[in-house]
This record gives sequence, C-alpha cells and structure tokens, in this order.
Amino acid sequence: MTQLKLWDQVFLLSGAYMATDFEPKIVGFLCNWCSYAGADKAGTAQNPYPPNVNVVRVMCSGRVDPQFVMNVFEKGADGVLILACHPGDCHYKEGNYRAAQRYRILIKLLAQLGIEEGRCRFDYVSASEGDKFVSVITDMVNTIKKLGPLRLAGEAKCFSS
Amino acid sequence: MKIGIYFCKCGTNIADKVDADKVKENISVSSGEKHYKTVDFLCSEEGKEFLERDIRENGVERVVISACSPRDHESTFMRVLSKAGINPYLMQMVNVREQVAWVTTDMKKATEKTSRYINSAIKRVVLHHALEKKEIDASPDTLIIGAGPAGLKIAMALAEAGRKVVIVEKTPVIGGMPVQYEEIFPDMECGPCMLEPIMGEILHGEHAGNIELLTMAEVEDVVGSYGNFTVKIRQAARCADPHKCIGCHECVEPCPVSAKNSFNCDLSERKAISFPFAGALPHVPYIDNSLCLRMKGEDCRLCKDACPVDDAIVLDEQETFIERTVGAIVIAIGAGIYDCTKIPNLGYATIPDVYTGIEFERIMASNGPTDGEIRTSKGGVPRSLAIVHCVGSLDKNHKEYCSGICCQYAFKFNHIIEAKLPGTKIYHFYKELSIPGKDGYMLYNHARNNPDAVFIRYSDIRDLTVKVKNGEKIIEFSDSSGAKGFSPADMVVLCPAVVPSKGAAKLGHLLEASGDKAGFFEELHGRMDSAQSKIKGIYLAGSCQSPMDIQKTVNQGMAVAGYILSGLVTGRKLEIKPIAANINSDSCSGCRVCLSVCPYKAISFSPEKKVSVVNEALCQGCGACVVACPCGAVTGNHFTNEEIMAEIEGALA
Repeated sequence: MTQLKLWDQVFLLSGAYMATDFEPKIVGFLCNWCSYAGADKAGTAQNPYPPNVNVVRVMCSGRVDPQFVMNVFEKGADGVLILACHPGDCHYKEGNYRAAQRYRILIKLLAQLGIEEGRCRFDYVSASEGDKFVSVITDMVNTIKKLGPLRLAGEAKCFSS
Repeated sequence: MKIGIYFCKCGTNIADKVDADKVKENISVSSGEKHYKTVDFLCSEEGKEFLERDIRENGVERVVISACSPRDHESTFMRVLSKAGINPYLMQMVNVREQVAWVTTDMKKATEKTSRYINSAIKRVVLHHALEKKEIDASPDTLIIGAGPAGLKIAMALAEAGRKVVIVEKTPVIGGMPVQYEEIFPDMECGPCMLEPIMGEILHGEHAGNIELLTMAEVEDVVGSYGNFTVKIRQAARCADPHKCIGCHECVEPCPVSAKNSFNCDLSERKAISFPFAGALPHVPYIDNSLCLRMKGEDCRLCKDACPVDDAIVLDEQETFIERTVGAIVIAIGAGIYDCTKIPNLGYATIPDVYTGIEFERIMASNGPTDGEIRTSKGGVPRSLAIVHCVGSLDKNHKEYCSGICCQYAFKFNHIIEAKLPGTKIYHFYKELSIPGKDGYMLYNHARNNPDAVFIRYSDIRDLTVKVKNGEKIIEFSDSSGAKGFSPADMVVLCPAVVPSKGAAKLGHLLEASGDKAGFFEELHGRMDSAQSKIKGIYLAGSCQSPMDIQKTVNQGMAVAGYILSGLVTGRKLEIKPIAANINSDSCSGCRVCLSVCPYKAISFSPEKKVSVVNEALCQGCGACVVACPCGAVTGNHFTNEEIMAEIEGALA
C-alpha cells in the first residue's frame, strides 16, 4: 500500500465546463494542533462556509501520506486540502516542513496524472486563524467549482493493496 | 459488533441546525448493529451517567459520539468509556457543533454533512484497537551540568525535596560567572556575597547529602531517555582531597611553575597548583596537569612536602570515569562572549588596555589581578575611558540579536569607575540602549547624570577605530548623524555579544539536544516552554538557552526544578501514552529512514536484530515515521493507515 505505483493508463476527462449544480467533494486533512483548532475557531465565531469539505483529523500534517491523497482522488473526490501549522509553529517541530516538501513532489506527480494543481492545495492555518480557515475553504470550493468534477477513467488504481 | 451512536443536541446549538431524526435514517452500519440515541447535553453529569449506563446495559462495543470538538470533550467521554468498562480508545468523536452546525447555513446540507461524518466515524471506529497506557520505572534523580547560579538553585530545590542530584562542573570552582564579579547590576550587590549562602548550602548544608558535586568533571556519554538516562562522567584528577585539605595555601608558594591564570583572564600569574582566586569554592587547590613538572617526568613533590596534612595532596592521581543513572538532565552551562578580534578596528589584542567586559570585571575585583585597582599598562590612572556597547550585537555581520545584559553592566562600570576614579571621563559608544524592567533605569540615570559621562551613538561598529596617535590612545568615530570626531581613551572596555559557550555544540551533540540558528540550546517553545529542550527529560536553564541576566537565569532554573519535581516523582512510574508508533520487526528492512525523520530521536537501530526500534517513552505520536517507512512496517497507533482510509471512504461514500 505504501509503494506508489504510477498508473499505466490514466485518462482524465476533466470538466472544462462550469456545472451550475456541481457540489464538489473535497477532503481536508487538518493537523490536530493548529489547523483543526483553526477550524474550531471558525465554528465558535459562527463564521459560515460551504459544507463541501470533509475534515479528516490527523495529529500532524507530516502524517499525511501522499498515498492518502491519491486514495482520496481515486475514491471520487474533486479536491484535497492539506492544512498545517505555520512554519516554525509545528507541534512536532518539523512535520509541517515534511508535509510541504512532500506536497511539492506530490503536485508534480498529480500533474502527470492529469490532476490540476488547484485540486490539491497545501496551506497554513493557525489555531487563531478562523477567518483564514473560512477563506481557504471558500476559495478552494470556488476553485474546484471552476475546474469542474474530476473524471478519472480507465484502470485507475492509486495504490496497490 | 454493537456500535453505539450518541447524538448530542447540545441544547439548541446542534439541534437547531441538524435534524437528528433524519441523521438516524441516513446512517448505516455495514458490519454490526446500530444503536442510536439522542441526548440533550451529553457532557452534563446526567448525560455522562446516561452514556455510562447505556453502554453497560446494551453491551455497546464501539462508540461514536456526535457532539462538539474532540478538543473540548474527547477526554471527558474517554473517561466515561473507561467507567463503563470498555477501552477508551474504542471511540470516535464527530465534531458536529464547531465544524458543521455553527458554520453551515442550510439545515439540509448540515444534516447531510453530519450523516456523512457519522458514517465515516462508524467505518473508522470498527477498526479501532483497544490501546493501553504503559508504565515504566523511572529514576527521580537529576544530573545538572554546570554549577552556576541556575545549576546551584536547581540542585538546592531538588535536594530540599529529598531528590538525589549530581552536579557536573567543568572548572574547579562553583558559582559560575557571577562569582567572579565584585558587584552586580542593578543594585551593586557583591557577586560572591550573593552566591555564598547557596554555595555553602550545596557544600555543607542540611541537604548536602543529597548532592554529589563533581568539579573538574565533564559528561562523556549519555544513553537512554527520559526517566532512565545513563550518564558517563569523566572526572579529571584534582590531585587534592577535598575531604582532607584544610585550605591553608601552604602548597602554592613552593611550586616552581608559573603560568597565566585563566580565572583572571590571563591578566595574572598562577602556579601549577593553585586556587583559582581568593574565596573560590570549594576551598581546595587543584593541580593543572598540563603544567605540573611530574607530568613532564620530573620528580617534583614540593607541594606535597609543604602540605601540613597527610595525603591531602594526591600526586599522580589519575582521571576516573563515573557512571550515574538519572531521570532528568539539566543543561546549565552558561554562555561565552564574542571574539572581539573579529572586529579588528577596535584594537582588541593588538592595542594595550583594550579589554572585554569580563576582563574589566576581574580588573575591578579586589581578588583580581590588580587587587581592584584600575591602572593602564603603563601603571597610570586612566583619565579617560571608553565603553563600547553592542560589540557584535545587533549586527548583521556578527550577531543579529541584542545580548540584553550589556547596557546594564556598562552602566554598572560607569558607576564603579566614577567611585574609584572620580573625574575620569567616560565615553559610552552605543548603537542602541536596552534597559528593560523595573530596576534597570537606576544605573542608567546615574550614568546620564554623571557630568563626566559622554554618550555617543554610532550606527555601525566599523565607524569606530581605536588607534594610538602621538603616544595617546584615541577612538576616532563617525556618529549616527555622520559627524566625525575623536575622543581620548586611555582604556577601552568592550561589551561583546553574548554567544553560546565553547562546549555547547559538543554537549548538544552528545545529548542530541538541538541548537538554534545562533547556536544556543533550542527550547521546546519560545514562550510557553523555554525551560525544556526539544528532547524530553533534557531541560535548559540560563544563558545556554538565550542571553539573560541572573534573575532570569535563576527563574528559569526554578522552572526546571518544577518540571522535574512534577514529572519525576519518587515511587511513581512514568505513564506512556499509547498514541505512539509501532515497528513490526518482521517487515522492517533496517533502512533507518525512520531514524532520520523522527524529531524526538525516539527511534534507534538495533544492530543485533538489524531493525529499528521505537522508544515509547520518547515517541510523541506525530506519525512522521509511519509515512516515511518504505516497507509499511510502522503503524501509528489510533491513526493507522487503515483507520484513516476508512474515514476517507466514509466521507466520500
């Protein structure tokens, strides 16, 4: 499962059209200490945002295996968000740097598979940045709405099990 | 498997935004039995009692709680699960209040999202493992490296609480730097007088039995982790028995070898056997084996012959190695000062009578090289004296930070010079002035009100040049407004940047405690946890962590004592949280990638088994190694790949 296997044949038919009733499915990986707390902060401030992002809490953004991201796209998501502590603020010292490094490689890999960069976003949200969380989510949903549904065709297998 | 799903309405907070009945319809349990209940306030006493009873009476095996953020009440409900007789980790919380109800305007969408989250949680919770907290034995003893004010205060606090303490001090004396200062800012207290009570307590006080003081000793090796460090200490030969020596000094005079006395900044001479300075504690001489004639093969025994006590001097004593087991290690090694020769225009080490602040402290000290007399190298009284602030501090070419203590000791110098040499002109060359706190202003005001003190602000240290012109020393300067001038300076005192001490890097490497970009020991958190290093069980006190004054040093030391007293309790085992990494040795290829990514040095390599091993006492459960392992050999407890993937599938179903 951890061994990345590049797809031999991937046909991507990304929607270049703007579907008006399209509600993107987005998975957001949030680190427990900063970004998840930032999301809670948006909640306590009762600051609304679109409901399209499904949050998966991880202890550290450095725990986000690129495999999870591949998995998310394979299972039908239109976008992935990875939110981390700001540089220098990681609860585990350097997990956010690892996440940032992996992200840079990951988007290149995704591009090879025809998945646009905008579908996978990495950002920093601190525990106090409820407003930033809301704007990141809102912006992400709008971006994916513009990109349209992700369509993977063929024998798309993100990972071997 | 019976899965209990408890939907908390949180009064109107959730109930007004999410339709609980609709949620019940929407959720499905693919493998197992659904047991769905709604509760008004699950975190209330009644709610908790209901939850406990309901789990018990219905034989619930897994629990999903749809309520508020797990950051609020996860531990509350984990305790209820324990009381109900099931493992607290067999639960998953769904954050409906903060992350759905309060932020979703459309009730239909909020209900759908809640249903999705609960379905995700159900898929996840069936995979949860019952995890148990582990306990390990831990030593309540402490090793303190450095016998300065911080080290001594920590030792005293711990010894008074009945803890065993080992102090390892590199030099033959205790008290650190301030014991060499005749007067200390802000109130001109005498340094040795301030420290002597505690030094006396350490050596001979009521709790001295709990303190093992090793001077002329250094940490050689450390293995183990929080609770169980094994420390190897190199004990150099002092060649004098502290228990027998009566401190009479008879041994010193006959010694035929003379050398520079480093305790007086090489400004005076000492013998191969000597006391560092008058009043140094412990009051026992030491032999510098690099100087002693016996080390050069000569059969000199003049010191021993002069000693009135049998066997107080132990010639040919050899260094020894001592091993101790401790639960915690404190780094309190202090700091050093910037090498002023790196700023050659200031003439340090090339022009006579240019001194660093520490050298000047010794010159002013009555037990120093000149018995406290301030004299030029020609023997005269200096009629003018320049004090250069910010030497190497706040300077991109040297050290970018402010050293924080220099202004205050510079104004202390001003005060002492004024008292010792009335009428002497004092020129303060400064880049910035920093005198924070409730006491700092007094010496500053005193200097400002001194008619013989002149303040000249410069913007770059390169704008100052110390030179000798017609036999007189002067400082040529260009001030911050660009105006050029010169001032006489029979003596120049430099206030160098405070820098990490010479041994810091080596010790940091030994203890695996990281340094920051300036080379000081890096704290766990700059504001909330500056007394802890990033390695659990290794604490920081004093200027080894950042430039600081004695007050802050001692306070930080007491914070360390607090951490140790609360963290390591005699007779109590160390609790290890189960959210940690696990390495399956059958799958591990021994590539050691995990070692390189672990921020806590919690993974080691077993050369016998040729696999990596996690130290659960150190692991913080971040999961970096789980992702990095190319073999899938590492499992992150409670956040396994399978659990996270199940959650994702549920979210996208």
